[in-house]
Amino acid sequence: MAVERTEELVLNMGPQHPSMHGVFRMVVHLEGEVVTKIDPKIGYLHRGIEKLAESRTYPQFIPYTDRLDYLSSPHNNLAYVLAVEKLMGVEIPERAEYLRVIFAELARIASHQVMIGSTALDIAGWTAWSYCFRDRERILDMYEMTAGSRLTVNNMRIGGISNDPPPGFWDALKSFLDDIPEMIEEYYGIFFGNEITMGRMKSVGILPKELAENLSITGPVIRSSGVNYDVRKADPYGIYDRFDFDVPVLHGCDSYDRTLIRLLEIKESAKIIKQAMRDIPEGPVMAKIPKVIKPPVGEVYHRVENPKGELGFYIVSDGTTKPARLHIKSPTFVNMQMLPLISLGWKIQDVIAIFATIDAVLGEVDK
Amino acid sequence: MENKELLRKRVDELASKVNGEVEEILGMLVLKVKGPYALEALTTAKSFTDIPCDFLHDLTAVDKIDHFEVVYQLTSWKGPQKLRIKAVVDRENPVIDSATRLWQGANYMEREAYDMFGIQFKGHPNLKRIYLWDDFEGYPLRKDYVTETAEQRSVVFKLPAE
Repeated sequence: MAVERTEELVLNMGPQHPSMHGVFRMVVHLEGEVVTKIDPKIGYLHRGIEKLAESRTYPQFIPYTDRLDYLSSPHNNLAYVLAVEKLMGVEIPERAEYLRVIFAELARIASHQVMIGSTALDIAGWTAWSYCFRDRERILDMYEMTAGSRLTVNNMRIGGISNDPPPGFWDALKSFLDDIPEMIEEYYGIFFGNEITMGRMKSVGILPKELAENLSITGPVIRSSGVNYDVRKADPYGIYDRFDFDVPVLHGCDSYDRTLIRLLEIKESAKIIKQAMRDIPEGPVMAKIPKVIKPPVGEVYHRVENPKGELGFYIVSDGTTKPARLHIKSPTFVNMQMLPLISLGWKIQDVIAIFATIDAVLGEVDK
Repeated sequence: MENKELLRKRVDELASKVNGEVEEILGMLVLKVKGPYALEALTTAKSFTDIPCDFLHDLTAVDKIDHFEVVYQLTSWKGPQKLRIKAVVDRENPVIDSATRLWQGANYMEREAYDMFGIQFKGHPNLKRIYLWDDFEGYPLRKDYVTETAEQRSVVFKLPAE
């Protein structure tokens, strides 16, 4: 019997494509519907943030970090200000530490909600998307109350946090936390427990543990490949060592687990925020720091657990008001390397599901 | 900190083998070696007994005017040990061995360093620009890269003075 063969098809997906989460392009080589090669092309959103940093003073650079991973901007602020504070040796007030944790964990919840919603949307689950975005809106309202902006929050400062949240914030936060168990049940019912979701995502895009470690993958992606590694536990920063929380680890290594782990992390983040709300002391939110920030000559590397992986800032100071070199280690830029390796042999629609589970934000990938 | 002393001992041994200097900056051990020894230092650090630094966390370069430094941030999947390895690379002829044979994950990070500094990573499977387009001239993060002035950048058409 003659075997019918099709010609290899080269398909350009993106940069303007509904499932590409921004301006990402991949050149997909197809044999029928089966992927034989993927060539990711990045850089459409490259703004040269590292070069810009060299001509900005240290406080001036904080708003730029919002534009990295714009779905969790307080986290990027946190990573940067912690790096500068480590370089300068600044101690910040207790209340500011707690507020930082609250905002960082709210950002994690918001980012994971977008991830679950957009993954659902990519595999045509429209309803889950609207549920996630409805609930995320409440976090954005809390941002707005405190900082005035909803996406690029920019409320961390070198030496503390910009301002105390208004009284209405705490009521909103409390009612949001009370609703989290119900939200999780809803997401599970509408998306994770769905038969079509399971069919589309279970056992799709296996990322083995050894490959993940070799590729320097971080964040929820590696934790769903059976590696228990979270910077909040491995190398605690801020006051994370005071809280009692678990790090969810799954062993499925597939797209389904990479999505489900986000749901479990929302639960843990809520636990941290509850403890922080209980223990938060009264007091100032800004330390006394000099008007002109001039860190001593030296260099520092600081990393935090961003919702998407490990975000690191490497700052080299030459003793002036501007950094001599600032490097951003963005998690999704490194995690993106798994896409061409683990998508081979899958159908084109599976590649969409695999790409969605990396949870790439192109602002961060392209810097 | 027992772990830290053990790491210090291992790094000192490694430094004498590869003619490196060890210093401590803000609590972090830093090993500075010459470019040709970088791969040997990384290979040894990856397989330190008891305290392997087997997680390549970050790879970047720094322009130090008279030379480049390629900076590797190493940590471990198990344990708190952290090590920074700096490899000094000649500015005129910036060549260094690629770390992709140790960590596949170095692939994109080295492409980024090539894109921004023009450092040639020997043995890299696909050393091409990653952010900028292929026929871009110059390496933007070098200190001698000339950025265009605001006037050059401006796209606003100006009427000639009457």
